[in-house]
Amino acid sequence: MAASRLPEADMEGIEGVRMTWNNWPRTKVEASKCVIPIAASIQPIRPHVDLQVLPYPPLRCKTCSAVLSPFCRVDFTALVWMCPFCYQRNHFPQHYSSISQTNLPAELYPNFPSIEYTIPNYPQNPQNFNPSTTVCPIYLFVFDTCLLEEELDFAKSALKRAIGMLPDNAMVGFVSYGTQVQVHELGFSEMSKVYVFRGSKELSKDQVLEQLGLGAAGRRAGPGIQKGGDGLNPLGGAPNSGINRFLLPASECEYTLNSLLDELGTDQWPVAPGNRALRCTGVALSIAAGLLGASTVGTGARIIAFVGGPCTEGPGSIVSKDLSDPVRSHKDLDKDAAPFFKKAVHFYEELGKQLVSQGHVLDVFASALDQVGIAEMKVAIERTGGLAVLAESFGHSVFKESFKRIFEDREQSLGLSFNGTLEINCSKDIKIQGIIGPCTSLEKKGPAVANTVIGQGNTTAWKMCGLDRNTCMTIFFDISSNEKSDPSGTNPQLYIQFITSYQTPDGQTRLRATTVTRRWVDSAVGTEDLVNGFDQEAAAVVIARFASYKMEMEEGFDTTRWLDRNLIRLCSKFGDYRKDDPSSFTLNPCFSLFPQFMFNLRRSQFVQVFNNSPDETAYFRILLNREIISNAAVMIQPSLISYSFNSLPAPALLDVSSIGADRILLLDSYFSVVIFHGMTIAQWRNMGYQNQPEHQAFAHLLQAPHDDAELIIRDRFPVPRLVVCDQHGSQARFLLAKLNPSATYSNAHEMAAGSDVIFTDDVSLQVFIDHLQRLAVQAS
Amino acid sequence: MASPGGPRPGNLPPSFIPNSLANNMQNLQINQPNQPQSNNPTGGVSRPPNTTPFGQQPPPFAGSRPGPPPHSAFARGPVPPSPSGPPQTTLSPNVAPVRPAGPPPGSQPPTPFVSRPLPPGSLPSSMGGATVSLASGSSPQLGPGPHHGPFVSSPPMSGPAAPPPVRTSGPLSNGPPGITPAQFQAGPRFPPVMGSTPRPPPIAAPQPATMLSSGSSSQRPQLRPNFGGPPASASLATTHPGPSSAPPQNMLPPPAPSPFSAPIQSVPRPSGSPYGMQTWMSQQQQVAPPPPVSGLQPPRMFGMPRTLPNQSLAPTSPALFHTGAAGTAQSKVDPSHIPRPIPSSVVILHETRQGNQANPPPPATSDYIVKDTGNCSPRFMRCTINQIPCTVDLLSTSAMQLALLVQPLALPHPSEEPIQVVDFGESGPVRCSRCKGYINPFMKFIDQGRSFICNLCGFTDETPRDYHCNLGPDGRRRDADERPELCRGTVEFVASKEYMVRDPMPAVYFFLIDVSTNAIQTGATAAACSAINQVIADLPEGPRTAVGIATFDSNIHFYNLKRALQQPLMLIVPDIQDVYTPLESDVIVQLSECRQHLELLLESIPTMFQNNRIGDSAFGAAIKAAYLAMKSTGGKLLVFQSVLPSIGIGSLSAREAEGRSNISAGEKEANKLLQPADKTLKTMAIEFAEYQVCVDLFITTQTYVDIASISVIPRTTGGRVYYYYPFTALSDPAKLYNDLRWNVTRPQGFEAVMRVRCSQGIQVQDYSGNFCKRIPTDVDLPAIDCDKTIMVTLKHDDKLQDGSECAFQCALLYTTVYGQRRIRVSTLSLPCTTMLSNLFRSADLDTQFACILKQVTGEVPSTPLPQVAEQAKNLCINILHSYRKFCATATASGQLILPEALKLLPLYTLALLKSCGLRGDGRIDDRSSWINYVSHLSTPLAIPLVYPRMIAIHNLDEKELDSSLIPETVPLSSEHITDEGIYLLENGEDCLICVGNSVNPDILHQLFGISSVEEISSQFVLQQYDNPLSKKLNGIINEIRRQRCSYLRLKLCRKGDPSGTTFLSYMVEDKTPSGLSYVEFLIHIHQHIQRKMP
Repeated sequence: MAASRLPEADMEGIEGVRMTWNNWPRTKVEASKCVIPIAASIQPIRPHVDLQVLPYPPLRCKTCSAVLSPFCRVDFTALVWMCPFCYQRNHFPQHYSSISQTNLPAELYPNFPSIEYTIPNYPQNPQNFNPSTTVCPIYLFVFDTCLLEEELDFAKSALKRAIGMLPDNAMVGFVSYGTQVQVHELGFSEMSKVYVFRGSKELSKDQVLEQLGLGAAGRRAGPGIQKGGDGLNPLGGAPNSGINRFLLPASECEYTLNSLLDELGTDQWPVAPGNRALRCTGVALSIAAGLLGASTVGTGARIIAFVGGPCTEGPGSIVSKDLSDPVRSHKDLDKDAAPFFKKAVHFYEELGKQLVSQGHVLDVFASALDQVGIAEMKVAIERTGGLAVLAESFGHSVFKESFKRIFEDREQSLGLSFNGTLEINCSKDIKIQGIIGPCTSLEKKGPAVANTVIGQGNTTAWKMCGLDRNTCMTIFFDISSNEKSDPSGTNPQLYIQFITSYQTPDGQTRLRATTVTRRWVDSAVGTEDLVNGFDQEAAAVVIARFASYKMEMEEGFDTTRWLDRNLIRLCSKFGDYRKDDPSSFTLNPCFSLFPQFMFNLRRSQFVQVFNNSPDETAYFRILLNREIISNAAVMIQPSLISYSFNSLPAPALLDVSSIGADRILLLDSYFSVVIFHGMTIAQWRNMGYQNQPEHQAFAHLLQAPHDDAELIIRDRFPVPRLVVCDQHGSQARFLLAKLNPSATYSNAHEMAAGSDVIFTDDVSLQVFIDHLQRLAVQAS
Repeated sequence: MASPGGPRPGNLPPSFIPNSLANNMQNLQINQPNQPQSNNPTGGVSRPPNTTPFGQQPPPFAGSRPGPPPHSAFARGPVPPSPSGPPQTTLSPNVAPVRPAGPPPGSQPPTPFVSRPLPPGSLPSSMGGATVSLASGSSPQLGPGPHHGPFVSSPPMSGPAAPPPVRTSGPLSNGPPGITPAQFQAGPRFPPVMGSTPRPPPIAAPQPATMLSSGSSSQRPQLRPNFGGPPASASLATTHPGPSSAPPQNMLPPPAPSPFSAPIQSVPRPSGSPYGMQTWMSQQQQVAPPPPVSGLQPPRMFGMPRTLPNQSLAPTSPALFHTGAAGTAQSKVDPSHIPRPIPSSVVILHETRQGNQANPPPPATSDYIVKDTGNCSPRFMRCTINQIPCTVDLLSTSAMQLALLVQPLALPHPSEEPIQVVDFGESGPVRCSRCKGYINPFMKFIDQGRSFICNLCGFTDETPRDYHCNLGPDGRRRDADERPELCRGTVEFVASKEYMVRDPMPAVYFFLIDVSTNAIQTGATAAACSAINQVIADLPEGPRTAVGIATFDSNIHFYNLKRALQQPLMLIVPDIQDVYTPLESDVIVQLSECRQHLELLLESIPTMFQNNRIGDSAFGAAIKAAYLAMKSTGGKLLVFQSVLPSIGIGSLSAREAEGRSNISAGEKEANKLLQPADKTLKTMAIEFAEYQVCVDLFITTQTYVDIASISVIPRTTGGRVYYYYPFTALSDPAKLYNDLRWNVTRPQGFEAVMRVRCSQGIQVQDYSGNFCKRIPTDVDLPAIDCDKTIMVTLKHDDKLQDGSECAFQCALLYTTVYGQRRIRVSTLSLPCTTMLSNLFRSADLDTQFACILKQVTGEVPSTPLPQVAEQAKNLCINILHSYRKFCATATASGQLILPEALKLLPLYTLALLKSCGLRGDGRIDDRSSWINYVSHLSTPLAIPLVYPRMIAIHNLDEKELDSSLIPETVPLSSEHITDEGIYLLENGEDCLICVGNSVNPDILHQLFGISSVEEISSQFVLQQYDNPLSKKLNGIINEIRRQRCSYLRLKLCRKGDPSGTTFLSYMVEDKTPSGLSYVEFLIHIHQHIQRKMP
């Protein structure tokens, strides 16, 4: 499986950009006829072996501040370069004087569309710049204590392990909460010292700082107030006066934290019978955010929240404490019968805004059998670019492994970065509608801002408080030119430049400029260029993201219908057929997979939300929106590999017919990885043949899917749930739910022995395609 | 003691005592090390157990006890158990002898009241002079010899049984002396005499005595002889009809020569028997069969005889008793002859009822041992007048107050029998079904015991079947003597379920310590921590004792003391506008589980905060938070506060300074500063009280903290304010520790409710004291202890029947520190009278004055000072005027005639006018603190508060060892202070030692270890040096501490210093710029009275 994804990775290349259409229709009207929106999915800090890191700052156009790129026209004699976006002529500075056709700086190499620059920290106050100091990221743990003893122990040991893995200079803070919020002052040497806040009262950032004693001394309204080294390094402040009472370098507080965790018990406040524990997640997070507000501007910080249940106390509550009130379901949300929902969402929106303004990230690790309120927190998590992991228990590997991954500093490291901003420059006639993904609009207006907004829009710059190497964003474009503009007079290429600045985990500031070019095509002439430039996978993912977005934003949005209509329109436009003759319908190979994606999307958790809780849906969407295209595609349409004695492991049809008694199937649906043993295999295994030397082959067969699953799991975040099951076992549902129900109870008698049926009334892919063909060929 | 009933009610005494003794011992030792030299660098904060942080010297307080006076400060409590044996015996012997023997010994000391302590040099040069002649009117009649004496106290009140004989002898002697100047002196001098012989015995054991018991016993014997004398003086025996009349007449003759002594003495003697016991007896014998019969009849009988005597007295007495001020020349008034308190050092044995009549109690300030024979001990409840006027008119004519001072858990004398505990099982105590009065000795059983009539409301109830008992021939139940509730004035009932809304609360102690910059730097925090650390050992043992601790500056820091934690966990509550408790449990932990943590924590708090730069204090928020932590159980919240609450809920402004800067407003509304700044704290306090949280404030400050505002909390919750100003780390920690220790170790109860019921015709008008009142009839006391007194004012709602008795019953439902629910019921039944003279005769000076003190003080915050002073004066004048007008009509109008019982009223009134609270010039906090102190003050302490006790200590050596521990008192007049002398003055809280400028350096060295007056430092720590003088001084101070149940703030004063000025301000008899001298005041009063006379 991993191997199969490699070519896809190549598709993104060094640019890290995939577009639904790689050749753009010239006019707005044409664009709208394309059905699938023009969108780019970018992976702003995608690692790549060829990526060059330049130790100097970039040259930027003095009008539009675009970064010098290989697409700039350079006049080596005059030492002038022309910006491809605004056509401004810029002189090279003195130190570029030696460039020539044969002596190009890296940023002008045509095969380096992406290039990265190292920027000195804090360019905004150079007088304070001290190259030797780097800003250490802050990890503020927010820890739920309203847990069962067992869960608490799991969570504690996970946290302890994590602390041990932190770099020595990482700043660590600790907040625990239950009915009340406890902010631990780690820098107090005499004894354990804790500030306790009530869970029922919302405090403003100023109040939090005031009450933590950070009011006058610790708060820095802006860079201007910083004095000496104090502003640069939280450690530089006067002892015991500022934020460093609460945030200490990991090396200094590891012992304290460990002993503190040893003593930390479950929340003491009594829980009345028939009630939920009073848990003030909302206040805890807002206090954590307030605390971080006292940290130095520009310091990257993550709030890492452990949530073990629903918030029932104070702002951000999602349900009453009475156990007889169930946590809201999709149905409740639809009927507007979730009294806490809107208020909580609003609360988290504000929290998200605060965090974004501070440049800090909210990560949520939720482990509970019931919902904990991810649906409400989603907005804060997404806006800040935080991570979310949803598991059933703090002892479950989904949580444990994922959590560990954050702190790992290995090949699989997530490369968690901070304080990112993304700016986009693009050629004339291209407008930006917005971004769906983990970022926040910076409301930077410009000519490239489109009238219509999708996601975070109204801007050409976005804030990404947290981002990692897999972070991916979907940018929706619009074409502003109309039919009448003269295509011949302008450049047939269009340019788009993505400029991402961010802080690496080790505190450096980087700026990556990715400049891409695509071709304008005049679709009036013919659709062939358009068709060839179509990226089915990207299109499917973009449609999925767009549909999810619409489901959230538009009340009563009928997703299935919308998807079907679009698909039909697409097929009508790009299919080859004779009118009203379904049997004549064929699709260009560039589109051939798309209907199946749509079929699976229709059946997926993104559209069929009623099979899931709002929390799960929110969680799925968070990941859908931030994952790279290939991963997101797996979420929509899982991959299936079949293992048997007869052949090498091979991809199998995502169909119930792929099930065989003598086969092992490996399903990767992103959130879970299922190893499914056919009946015969399971029997053999149960009889222990794999342990007999003469059946080593069987042992290998058994082992192979596990090894592959391991590969998948190893570099995926969050870690998927691994389900190992046997045919007809109860866990088999994880597989069956994803398969095309080509065999159901209605036609079970037709099936060969050893295969399986799915008890469903859902239509099979075949039926779906039949309908599609029929409708596509109808005159619209 | 001997009572089989055995176990003391709460067990309080027993356990309490042993501990305290033991503790004391330790303390002493501990203290010693410290004090000696250098504990000071850090300011007394020291720590190690061995070194006593505060203890001054071992002797102080606790220490003293062990050694010589085992009793030491708290001796009372402790004494009973072990010592009891001996003392008892000794006592009883004494007692018996006393009366009979009285005469012989008495001869010297006898004069009850007349005396004046020591007429220093002034001899009664001219008798005429002696009589205080008030210039006012022409006093033609003054002439009469007898009346001469300016202020002759009226005999009627004179001593109890003992007196008769004594007096006779006394009078005789006195009489004569009176005549001749020389003798006169002798007579009056009585004090000196007393001091030498009589006094010693009573109180202080001779130094040698190692053990309490032994000491006491040894003393006792001695006492006896002397005994007779003192008691006579001390006890207010009503004069008896027969005798009294006789005496007066007798008196007349002798008096002539010496006005003072003569009358009094003569009178008392004749009457001899205390409250007319004898007389009654005799009469009764005549009337009824045998005296023993105390049947139903007694009451009636009782009245009868009494009235007779009274009546007879009435006419005659005035002339005799009243000192007439025949002033021709004002200047002639001899200050040495005017009435002054004569402390009696003799232990009086008091039976609350004799011959089925109420026995008027000895003065509250005297030393007495009570035998409960039907009425409750006067310690628990005493009335301003020991006979109840039958009508409102009669009462208002007398101008006296009718009120009860109730001290429901008052500390008993060690020799008294413990209160018996009665358990009625699940049904609970028998009560009247209408008024809910509790069964008491005055309930009358009728119908062969099948029913009983409530003595409070008159309702007839059926006797519960299992409580039925036949009546004897005398009409009493046959089992009356076996059942404490039928023969004792005070019993404790075990409360049944019906009296509990929840399980009895545990004993919870929560300590709240100020750690703001100021508190840290002055050493207050260290002192508090150290005190608490030592006191932990004294907290009641057992699983029901829980403690919590918190500190605060601008935040509130709680500590989780749970055992599982490696070290205490500090929990900060930063929201001081809207506080909460940081943990549901574990903030308050069972003592046994957290002792180590607690000690560790207390040791580390001062260092932990030593660099604290936070000057603000969130006092209001802190107590609120602590309250929230304690809410589920209730308990005692002990707050150590050092600065003005400046932040958070209930924060205050420095009103005093504002008032000063804005003088015009300040003067106009000066008393406003004595009122709480706003209602916030009051509202909080009421909430605290509702959840049984009692707050005690220990204010260790050097600045204004607005006691007027913050004291609302302790006042409403049954606590009190301890005020250490200006706090010094050298000398105050010892007191802080001892105060705290007494606070937690004294007998006390929690979650209490108190109600006083009265017989029909009288009802409770109001309660005043430190409590919370939610419904008119009850007072809620989150905590009640042995020191707290509640004043209950009474009013008539009907006429009482002459000759009947009027009963008062105080019921206190409370939880002991060991978690038992108890009802302490004290019943007092007093005769009713229609005779005004009876009222005056049976007036209880100490109680009356305590009431006046409390009432007047209560007015201070709300009324301009001049009006308050006027009011106080008028209370005094009206009473005296009434007496003059209706009971002393026979005397000449020019005379100032004082009722014997109330002869000191003018002096006390004058002292009150000059007291801290009524002086306009003091610091606001001092005044507020004083006002607060008064609000819960017990009767015995009320007098010294305004009229402190002063003794000379430079000449201790000259006194015989066998004399009383405490030398005779010196009048509070600067005339009596010499430059060569060193004087000790104490008022129950403060103890000033004034050193004259020409004191013999040798004495200085012996007492204080300094060689000259110049070396006196403002911070004084009493030490014991190895010389007799120093030992004696320490002995005296320890004895005072014991008596007052207070450690005393010792201050060394020096003439010429501000400290000397303070000392002089206590010289209430002096003329001051703003106040009259005693003599002038008498004249002033006299003029007022005359003006009122038709």
